[in-house]
Amino acid sequence: MTSALPGPAGPAAGHASDDLLASYATGTAGPVAVWSVEAHLTGCPRCRSALSAHVAAERLARNRSVLLVRVALPEGGRVQRALRRCGVPDHLLRLLAATPSLRRSWLLSVIGVVAVAAGEAAAVGYGWIRTGGPTVLVRYPGPEVLAPFLLVAPLLVLAGVAAAFLPMFDPAYRLAVAAPFSGFTLLLVRSVSALAVALVPVVLAAFLLPGPGWLPAALLLPSLALCAFALAAATVVGPRAAAIMAGALWAVPVLLLAAAHIPLLAVQRNAQFACAAVLCACAVVLLARHDRFEWGWAR
Amino acid sequence: MTHGVRTVAVRADGLSRWYGTTRALEEADLALERGVTGLLGPNGAGKTTLLSILATVNEPDRGRVSVFGLDPRDVAERVEIRRRLGYLPQELGYHRHFTVAGFLDYVAILKEITDRRRRAEEVARVLAALGLERRARTRIRALSGGLRQRLGIAQALLGQPDLLILDEPTAGLDPEQRLRFRELLSDLPGDPVIVLSTHQADDIAAICPHVVVLLQGTVHFTGTPAELAATAAGRVWAAGERDARAHLSWRGGDNRWRHIGDHPPPGAELVAPTVEDGYLLLSHAAGA
Repeated sequence: MTSALPGPAGPAAGHASDDLLASYATGTAGPVAVWSVEAHLTGCPRCRSALSAHVAAERLARNRSVLLVRVALPEGGRVQRALRRCGVPDHLLRLLAATPSLRRSWLLSVIGVVAVAAGEAAAVGYGWIRTGGPTVLVRYPGPEVLAPFLLVAPLLVLAGVAAAFLPMFDPAYRLAVAAPFSGFTLLLVRSVSALAVALVPVVLAAFLLPGPGWLPAALLLPSLALCAFALAAATVVGPRAAAIMAGALWAVPVLLLAAAHIPLLAVQRNAQFACAAVLCACAVVLLARHDRFEWGWAR
Repeated sequence: MTHGVRTVAVRADGLSRWYGTTRALEEADLALERGVTGLLGPNGAGKTTLLSILATVNEPDRGRVSVFGLDPRDVAERVEIRRRLGYLPQELGYHRHFTVAGFLDYVAILKEITDRRRRAEEVARVLAALGLERRARTRIRALSGGLRQRLGIAQALLGQPDLLILDEPTAGLDPEQRLRFRELLSDLPGDPVIVLSTHQADDIAAICPHVVVLLQGTVHFTGTPAELAATAAGRVWAAGERDARAHLSWRGGDNRWRHIGDHPPPGAELVAPTVEDGYLLLSHAAGA
């Protein structure tokens, strides 16, 4: 039938021999024989039927179970598929499924808060609503209109990262603690993803605001520094206290500057230098104390 | 009480743990060998705290633990213990939006089974072991309490652990599933160390060659179920009427009263004690 099947174990009366099918089924056939058998099987129902006798029922059942499990596992959305194509390991992407701040409901909440804070600033700044009296239309009345957005934006990013590492947001936290997978790796994977995702609506909203053109870029460093501070402080005072401290570290100065009608100082040059210093210091602390995230015995 | 010479795989010495002003464990000593050890104790006795310490989730305020010769105070050794551990907490939280297979896949990754094929095989194996194959695609929020408990046991079995810590594994299981669970433990390969806490004395009698009774944070008994039952020998009676002098008495299915105490009621006959009798007597003596 086909001459592609190799010599001694080759075709008898145009079909694959029992020995060849057996070696193919058990995976002991050489690559050329495997190629020949597979080419032959595609067009030969008799040999396909004969092959099934050489496959152990237990192995078939196991393969069927594995197949069912694979079908039952979600493939993930477009972003996950794109990341997989970019070489991000499948198991790391699977871990993200348990990150609350990457869920749709969380993202919608973030977008909602950003929309309210940015919308209010935009409405006043572009004169869509009246301020200063019933007949006066004000266009970009001053930087203080940006204060609510400046207060909220980095805090939303911080909240996303905090939700990614606070035990209270992980119902299976005890399992994660009792498992050998590196707590620090898990923390980094979740935090970086949450940070990246939360920054998108924040930066986009900043583009639409009536403030200075550099505002979107100026929000990045404070957001990163706050998240790094929360993670680094968590190695010293525990995750919840660390998240609260990081929030206060941003909220208090921004509120004070807003009260003084100079909220933009919180994201201008000197503040950026301060944030860069905090970021570097926190990176050093994280590197030095990362084993504190192997939680459990090391409280 | 101890018995025979045995190889200790897990040892705890002088464990104490306080939650604020509440004492959960007080100088608790424990030695576990391979096979199944049942941990008996009333609510608040410290069972969950003890098991969470053995599972390296909680840290004791005082005392030492050794698991297969490894010390959990050392980070590297703690991770090594976790590589050999399967743990079912008493109140296991679930990501409710996960499917059954997705949750097991997630836990398998946490157990460092990162190869996709091997992970799927392992998930398929534990799904079959717990009879959950047909639920593989069901979301956890749609599972009943009993099915969730089976899922919890399934995740603990991932990776064929050498130390299996199960905190009340039979809670929520129906009688048939409890029997299947006993069968499952009996068939586990590799002779792992298994410690399970339960309120069910018949579970202990059926599957545990060793039993530990924990009362008020302290280990009060270590031995075999037969030895625990023997502590009540000569102090369990059956009678037609209730006797107020008994430590405990209740009416059984045969309409006769079973008494545990030092004074036989009038007309009572001495009966063979059970594991439950021994446990109840110990609890009474400890004032638990």
